[in-house]
Amino acid sequence: MASDYDVEFVERTEREARILVRGITPAFANGIRRAMVADVPTLAIDTVRFIENSSVMFDEQLGLRLGLVPLTTPTPEEFGDDDVVTLSIDVEGPATAYSGDLVSSEPDLVKPADENVPIIQLKDDQRLEAEAEAVYDHGKNHAKHQGGVAVGYRHLQRVTVDGDLPEFEEEESQIVRGVIEDDGELIPTSEFGHDLTERYPGKDVTVEDVPNAFVFHVETDGSFAVEELVTRAVDSIDDRAAELEDAVQL
Amino acid sequence: MELRVTERTDEELSIEIAGEDHTFMNVLKGSLLEHEHINAATYDINPEQSGGQTDPILTLKTDGSIEPIDALEEAAGDIRTKAADFKSAFEAAA
Amino acid sequence: MMVPVRCFTCGTVVAEHWEEFEERAREGDEDPAEVLDDLGVDRFCCRRMLVSHTDLVDVVSPYQ
Repeated sequence: MASDYDVEFVERTEREARILVRGITPAFANGIRRAMVADVPTLAIDTVRFIENSSVMFDEQLGLRLGLVPLTTPTPEEFGDDDVVTLSIDVEGPATAYSGDLVSSEPDLVKPADENVPIIQLKDDQRLEAEAEAVYDHGKNHAKHQGGVAVGYRHLQRVTVDGDLPEFEEEESQIVRGVIEDDGELIPTSEFGHDLTERYPGKDVTVEDVPNAFVFHVETDGSFAVEELVTRAVDSIDDRAAELEDAVQL
Repeated sequence: MELRVTERTDEELSIEIAGEDHTFMNVLKGSLLEHEHINAATYDINPEQSGGQTDPILTLKTDGSIEPIDALEEAAGDIRTKAADFKSAFEAAA
Repeated sequence: MMVPVRCFTCGTVVAEHWEEFEERAREGDEDPAEVLDDLGVDRFCCRRMLVSHTDLVDVVSPYQ
C-alpha cells in the first residue's frame, strides 16, 4: 500500500510541539494519538516505604504526590522492562521537601524531570525519610504513567480569500484554532489572536479542512522529548500489528 | 494477543482479539477497509462494566477471492508498512 | 493542603510553578493572569489549579 506521509514541525520545543502530518487516515491518526496517551510506558514511583514521616500529611497522601512526579524515562531497551529504580528522600524540617530532593539509584538515566515540585512543607522537628520504587507501566492503568498530556489533533485548515466584503457590511469575528494554510504557508492561529478578521480585515474568506492533513499537538510531562513520545507510540502500534501477523499465521 | 475464531465461512470471519481496545482495533479496521478484496469490516467492544464479552470482536467479509484470515494477515502487514513509513517520514522531519 | 502536583484535568505538572506563582501573584502585586502566561501555564484547566489553591499546612500543623 502506497502511504506517502509528509511530516512537518510547525512549532517545536523540548516538551511541546505542533506537528503537521499529510496523507494520514483519520483511523491511523487517532491510533497514534491514543497510543501516545495510554500505551507509551513511563516510569513512575509505585511503592513507597516510609522510614519516618512526622509531617502533617498521611503516608498515602505523600505516596500519591511522589507517584505523580514525572521521572525521565529511558527506552525499555536501555533499561529492562521489569527493572525497578530506587529513589530515596530524606528531608528534615524546617524545610520543604522538593521532588529535586529525590536521590535516584541510577542518576544518569532516571531522575525527577521537574525539580521544584513541593512534596510537603515540614515544620520544626518534622522529618520525611522514605524509599520509593519506580516501575514501568501504561497510562491506561494510572495517570501517573501517562507520558503525553493534552495530546490532540485538528484538521489543517485552508483559508482562501474570495474578495472584499461589501462596503457597509459589519465585520464579525471569525474564530479558528489550530494551524491554517494560506497559499502553502503554515500559520499557527495564535499569531493573529485566533481571529481571521485580524489577519484578513475587510476580506471575505472561506475556511475548509484539508483532507487527510492533521496537525497534532503533542505535549509531554517531561518523561521524554516530544520526538521520543511519537516514535514510541508508533512502535507500540507496530508491535501489536506484528503480534497479530504472527498470531494469524498459526 | 490471543485470537479466538467465533464464526468462519469462506467469505466471512468473526474473530475475538483479546486484550486490545479502540487504539489498535480502529487502526486495523481502517486498514482492512482499504484492502481491495474486503467488502465490509467492523468491530464491536462492550464496556468494561457490562459483564460478559468485553474483548473486541472483529467481523469481516471478503468478495470471495481471498481467505478472510489471509486478508487479516495482509491488513496487519499494511499497518506495519504504514508505521514504518510514518516513522521514517517523522524522523526525516525531526 | 499542599498544591496538587498535576492538573486534575489534563495531567500537566503544575506544582512546578506554584512557588513562583505564589511569590509573584499572591505575595507580590503582579497580575495573576500575566504571571501564569509568563510561566507557560496556558490552559484554563491548569490555571484554575494554581489560582484556586490555598496552602493549609500552617493551619493544620498545630494539631499534629
